[in-house]
Amino acid sequence: MSSQDMNTPRPAAPPQWTRFPFPETLIRYSALLGVLVFLAWSVHFLNLDLQRVLGAFPRLGAILADRYFPPELGFILDQRFLMSVLNTIQMSILGGAFGVLLAIPLAWFASHNVTLHRWIFYPFGRLSIMGCRAIHETIWTILFVTVIGFGMFAGVLALTMFCIGFAGKLFSDEIEAIDMKPVEALRSTGAGPLQVFVFGVLPQVKIAFVGISIYTWDVAFRAATVVGFFGGGGMGWYLQRATYELQSTRVAAILLTIIALVSISEVVSGWLRQRLAGERLA
Amino acid sequence: MAMTGTGKPSGGGATAGGGILSGEAATTYFERRRNDRMRKALIWTGVALVLLWCIQVTIIADTDWERIGGRFGVLGSIGRFLLLDFSLLPHLLVPAIETMMIATLGTILGCFLALPVAWFGARNVTPSLYIFYPIGRFMMVLSRSVHEIIWAILFVGAVGLGALPGILAVAVRSIGFISKITAEAIENIDPKPVEAIRAVGGNQFQVMYYGILPQIMPVVLGTIIFEWDINIRRAAVMGLVGAGGLGLVFFRQMAMFNYGGVTMVLLAILVLIIIGEIVSHYARKAVT
Amino acid sequence: MPVLEVRDLRVRYNNTGPEILRGLDFSVEASDFCAVIGPSGAGKSTLIRCINRLVEPSGGSITLFGEDMLALNARDLRRMRRRIGMIFQEFNLVNRMSVMDNVLSGRLGYTGSLRSVFRLFPREDVEKALELLARVGLSDHVNKRADALSGGQRQRVGIARALMQQPDLLLLDEPTSALDPKISRDVMSLIRDLAREFDVPVLCNIHDVQLATEFCNRIIGLQDGIKKFDGPTETMQKANMEEIYAMEVL
Repeated sequence: MSSQDMNTPRPAAPPQWTRFPFPETLIRYSALLGVLVFLAWSVHFLNLDLQRVLGAFPRLGAILADRYFPPELGFILDQRFLMSVLNTIQMSILGGAFGVLLAIPLAWFASHNVTLHRWIFYPFGRLSIMGCRAIHETIWTILFVTVIGFGMFAGVLALTMFCIGFAGKLFSDEIEAIDMKPVEALRSTGAGPLQVFVFGVLPQVKIAFVGISIYTWDVAFRAATVVGFFGGGGMGWYLQRATYELQSTRVAAILLTIIALVSISEVVSGWLRQRLAGERLA
Repeated sequence: MAMTGTGKPSGGGATAGGGILSGEAATTYFERRRNDRMRKALIWTGVALVLLWCIQVTIIADTDWERIGGRFGVLGSIGRFLLLDFSLLPHLLVPAIETMMIATLGTILGCFLALPVAWFGARNVTPSLYIFYPIGRFMMVLSRSVHEIIWAILFVGAVGLGALPGILAVAVRSIGFISKITAEAIENIDPKPVEAIRAVGGNQFQVMYYGILPQIMPVVLGTIIFEWDINIRRAAVMGLVGAGGLGLVFFRQMAMFNYGGVTMVLLAILVLIIIGEIVSHYARKAVT
Repeated sequence: MPVLEVRDLRVRYNNTGPEILRGLDFSVEASDFCAVIGPSGAGKSTLIRCINRLVEPSGGSITLFGEDMLALNARDLRRMRRRIGMIFQEFNLVNRMSVMDNVLSGRLGYTGSLRSVFRLFPREDVEKALELLARVGLSDHVNKRADALSGGQRQRVGIARALMQQPDLLLLDEPTSALDPKISRDVMSLIRDLAREFDVPVLCNIHDVQLATEFCNRIIGLQDGIKKFDGPTETMQKANMEEIYAMEVL
């Protein structure tokens, strides 16, 4: 059986094949080389010590075990800290709600297929959403703190901006993917743009929007845990104080609280979205 | 809507058939409709109350309205940001490049770190469902639930100031999303090519490399590009806690109360984001 | 001595579930092109997959080339699998790889992990792949992606991949049921010709009795995990057919 031979009569000109055809390979390898050069240059430019990169994780582990352990769990039960946790949740709810409400009209403007006006409203919507997204929530916090002072209001506004950017993008993606037939039907009956949006677009995206809103809240809550670090109120403020006072075990306790809360919020929002998906099918 | 559906199943099949509803069926139909509306109204009232309560606690009670000083005070403080400080322009180039590099290197490092996490956290390929799978899942949650600022603080503590903690923070923060999407892609692969590679006698590694990797590649690359785009804005704030890039300039301008300079930094961030968006747009087109 | 000998083969997917195969005995000779026919759900696919242990049997014995398949460890199993070519119902190609790479992947059992990372297959393998692709009529499609081909062409890639292994046994799992009748016939006759050319015995599970009687010299009839017929194609009577497909008639 093992004596079989693949040498069937060969075609006149033996076919040729190579994995590395000339121009493509050259281009590919040049690109690869370019990337490597860029990486090497970055490492040099940022003055990175590769040994420190590799050592960073063991070092972090050692520091966590050494300085941050054991977490000062008693602090979690502190009345004021618990209050700040509640405030954080409230901030995330408000920021999420305001953000979603503002994001809906902006997403409408920023959707190419149903926008009010392609040369005025479309760029306006796009730019607003992109601006909100481009600036990190911590920077928004710092900006609002300078304008209206320390406190949760600044945090809520920062989260609002963040949520506009986050939800707005997802909303407008959703709107741009709708079925245009009902929209055309409405337009042909002479409905105005707002009517088209309310009767032609919203019903199609309603469930998706609710799902996105829940997700937005989930993400806003994560952001809310740190806005306090820059003066935006909530539990981040305790984190900042503990960090700067080098109370590492307290920092560890706060971090554990954050991880636990974020996990819970993720489970809750996942559960809600799953129910929603079930409803969508029903 | 999510919440309005809570009581729906209780009704039974009264609405079946549609069209003409006679006698009992009609009453049940209207009853149900009324109940539904009541429930909706109740839920919305509840939501409104919660929102009002939040507004009361976080905004009305917690804000120092005196300090804001009315409409003109706010406009005044916003106005300070509008006097652009162009003299800062030449000093922005190097930090901008740094930010871009932190984002890029962080994303690349994040990919490498995400690789084992995705492998552990995908049900169908995990080495052990009882040991490695939970570890993988936990790493995903951990990476995503801790904010990048906190990661940066932790890494600044571990390796000192500079670009390195920024890269590490961005990398660790990227693990969660990349590995989650990758693990999902692995769980959803078509098992047929995998079977074929097993049938020709390929080993475990070859099964992954030939059977799984080509299938998940487009999704994974798309995700990485998406994450890189996000990482630019993350990298831009790393400087706030001492990790280099544009965030550091922002922080300094803020500390000097040079609000025009702050706006310049924001514009520079915006430019980076736009560049990132354009690049990722074309890159994503190229990989799909 | 038969190439493949199966004794009292039993399979159940989980401990409490029903038995899919309930004690099968048969053997395949070196010259056989043997068809396994039977209604859907009879266990044909499971049987084929047991031979190279893509499905683990729960009892019985499989002796292939004189070796006990069920006693092999993972490493020896891989060594054994590379001697068994397999052609699948839905081709099981890696869609995003080129035709060439799909064919070359038939050599993976002979290629080290490191070489396979860079897809550096030996020159002989590449030449053999080109020959086989020419033989199955795909010379013009070498560099196309597998998902750019039609169904019939993809199955030809599958055939080339299986033959790349220089197999000592070919397993066919419904190789034609995803193809239309005309192309099915072409593919079957191509497989028959190649099997003769390379002198490989074939065990083929097939739904279409017409095709089975046309191309195979021996038929095993399966119904509900039990062998109902086993013999040369000529000896199969209408009565045998009716017995095998009794469930479907009802």
